[in-house]
Amino acid sequence: MASRTQFENSNDVGVFAKLTNSYCVVAVGGSENFYSAFEAELGDVIPTIHTTIAGTRIVGRMTAGNRRGLLVPTQTTDQELMHLRNSLPDSVKIQRVEERLSALGNVICCNDYVALVHPDIERETEELIADVLGVEVFRQTIAGNVLTGSYCALSNQGGIVHPQTSIADQEELSSLLQVPLVAGTVNRGSSVVGAGLVVNDWLAVSGLDTTAPELSVIESIFRLQDAQPDAISGNLRDTLIETYS
Amino acid sequence: MQLTWKDIPTVPNSNDLLDIVLNRTQRKTPTVIRAGFKINRIRAFYMRKVKFTSEGFEEKFQDLISGFPNINDVHPFHRDLMDTLYEKNHYKVSLAAVSRAKTLIEQVSRDYVRLLKFGQSLFQCKQLKRAALGRMATIVKKLKDPLAYLEQVRQHLGRLPSIDPNTRTLLICGYPNVGKSSFLRCITKADVEVQPYAFTTKSLYVGHFDYKYLRFQAIDTPGILDRPTEEMNNIEMQSIYAIAHLRSTVLYFMDISEQCGFSIEDQVKLFHSIKPLFANKSVLIVINKTDILKPEDLSQERQDLLQEMVKGNEAVEIMTTSCHEEDNVMTVRNKACEKLLASRIEQKLKGTARVNNVLNKIHVSQPAPRDDLKREAYIPDAVKALAKYDVTDPNRRKLARDIEEENGGAGVYNINLKDKYLLEDDEWKNDKMPEILDGRNVYDFLDADIAAKLQALEEEEERLEQEGFYDSEDDFDSEDEDVQEVQEKARWIRDKQQKMINAARNRKALKNGGTMPRSKLTKSFNEMESHLESLGHDTTTLVNKKNAKVAESRYTPTGADIVYDQTGATNYKQPAYKTDRLNDGINDGALRNKTDRMAKLQRRERNRQARQGEGDRHATASLPKHLFSGKRGAGKTDRR
Repeated sequence: MASRTQFENSNDVGVFAKLTNSYCVVAVGGSENFYSAFEAELGDVIPTIHTTIAGTRIVGRMTAGNRRGLLVPTQTTDQELMHLRNSLPDSVKIQRVEERLSALGNVICCNDYVALVHPDIERETEELIADVLGVEVFRQTIAGNVLTGSYCALSNQGGIVHPQTSIADQEELSSLLQVPLVAGTVNRGSSVVGAGLVVNDWLAVSGLDTTAPELSVIESIFRLQDAQPDAISGNLRDTLIETYS
Repeated sequence: MQLTWKDIPTVPNSNDLLDIVLNRTQRKTPTVIRAGFKINRIRAFYMRKVKFTSEGFEEKFQDLISGFPNINDVHPFHRDLMDTLYEKNHYKVSLAAVSRAKTLIEQVSRDYVRLLKFGQSLFQCKQLKRAALGRMATIVKKLKDPLAYLEQVRQHLGRLPSIDPNTRTLLICGYPNVGKSSFLRCITKADVEVQPYAFTTKSLYVGHFDYKYLRFQAIDTPGILDRPTEEMNNIEMQSIYAIAHLRSTVLYFMDISEQCGFSIEDQVKLFHSIKPLFANKSVLIVINKTDILKPEDLSQERQDLLQEMVKGNEAVEIMTTSCHEEDNVMTVRNKACEKLLASRIEQKLKGTARVNNVLNKIHVSQPAPRDDLKREAYIPDAVKALAKYDVTDPNRRKLARDIEEENGGAGVYNINLKDKYLLEDDEWKNDKMPEILDGRNVYDFLDADIAAKLQALEEEEERLEQEGFYDSEDDFDSEDEDVQEVQEKARWIRDKQQKMINAARNRKALKNGGTMPRSKLTKSFNEMESHLESLGHDTTTLVNKKNAKVAESRYTPTGADIVYDQTGATNYKQPAYKTDRLNDGINDGALRNKTDRMAKLQRRERNRQARQGEGDRHATASLPKHLFSGKRGAGKTDRR
């Protein structure tokens, strides 16, 4: 299922939310519209919770996580930590990370098995990621960008990377991540796919500006609603060539 | 490139334009000349009027000229369309007339301003201004026809459909009354008029639809008759230009039932005669109205005629449809879109730069396995069981948004973040929790055996008490109870007296008097010291400091003093050679009083004159009144 929503007139839903296979973290906003967009799709399957991180609403960019755990930056207050602990299931580990690059969502891009991280991240952080999230960690760049979390949207079934990623890079990243990858955009041509889109294994939520071709690519690559990644080079090929050139 | 011209400013007719500009001149320039104005000022007055008027006209004309599209700059399709609709030459000539009028008015203004510079009198200047404005008005009046025409064009331009010549386009053409407009109605939401007579559609109509996530525009054209292009009227020419200029798939509509009033032969002939326009375009021959007659039911020679159209051209295909029964409509549409997409993509893939840009977006990289670990998706079973949320369902799940709405909407309702807590007992959710700071809360400072420690302390205390540790040495019990009672009463009485005295003083204190502000009241050092002591401050340093100061300022005795001091006299004594002129020779008593009074009287006049003392004989500079008051003429300051 792929849906479109907006956080207070901003299309960058990945900035204000974090979606994983076992929980969904949403920023506290002026109204409940954004929260309910997730609530409607997720129901009671996984908890959808409100929180702030370090008093900010950019929870999606500040945190990194997957089914097994959630990493929060050092600036997270004790109250927020307690709130998260009380709200998330016990199976999810929460860990505060002492890292200079504190926007963990920008520097870490992970699914339940693999993580791509910023090349300059500290060794301790790398170990924490491996331990808490239970993933293999690779230091990588995406199309020359060090902010792996911003330029890649990843689930266990597929991933979208920065639109300028060359095919060779795509192949390399794909064999690291062990999921099919495609280069693409969200929100009517935005290249920050990680910040414009949140995704887990059965749901993707993107900004309200996302066009129909973009949404169909999202559905195909993440295998939502029985769509297959092959469709991108098959059915959708013509549409994509028409829109992108 | 501009595709619509909806915001061209309105074109006033020549009279309105005159009124507007002259009115503005009258409102925004000075209007009154008074007797005694210098000739320079009069000239400037009229020059300003002339300049202002000409600027007003120029501004208006400039807006006009820049508002209308330059017919040579627009897309060829729009250019030809405008040509047929408005007659290119007429359009150009009208705009040129406006432009020429602008230069003429500039010239008139320049000439008359030059003349005004040498105006000799008020009358002459005024006549020059009248002449200038009159000539400008004549120029504008001559623009009557161009302005009227341009206004017509403006209104028509604003209503032209916004046709993008470069986007994906399906073009529907054919003889009149073959069902072109009904097809457009079927595939788009465009509300096109459909009537059972020829030339219902007299201009281009546009509708939009989506296919394969892409937006297409479908253009309905007026019917074309088979005749040489020179003989075609404006309505038909619009169709021809649309076919000629738009990169599109052409749907050539045919009516084999001949209900439209044209035979199949005619229709085939038209197809062949406009064929040159189909170069580089994919063409779909759509046989409409199959509900009346199917192509299979035609005679063999007519079927051959139809087949002949396709022959020798792979880009042409025949399809059948019925807009009346909505049969096969979507198939035709999809086929047309496919053809269009295929040709567009073929074109696009010719440029390598474009291809490289898009290749990675249609390439899905599949992972090469690097180990035999299985990385499976994690989708809980509950997801499949979860009913899709439907806003129209009355029994839908209640969302936070609904709850918010019920409680007064955004900004009023405050969510409870603790509602979603996953705790062992739901009643704990809203428990007050101690705030945590730096990873610690109050509980971290709690001592587990605090009760035992307290118990021990209390026991020790009790023991000490029993041992008499706290008993003091003195024993006051021996005091007689009577004495105590008397002392108690005496204290009470003294206290009462003091309170009464204070009350009386307070009553008197303000009688006819003002209260001094606290900052002006002087307080002795002792008062300050006792006050500070009562507040519990240590005053020793203060006292030491004061003592030091006092000792410093005390008179230090010199040699003579020490000698005299032997006698033990502490007061300073009047030296024998000095006399006390104030007091000497007068006894205390009545005489003393009298002298005091006399001295006072003497001082009164002296004080009035602000003398410093009896020796003050200072005379201020005294001037005669006329020298220090009022206006002074030249050379009269010095009275000597």
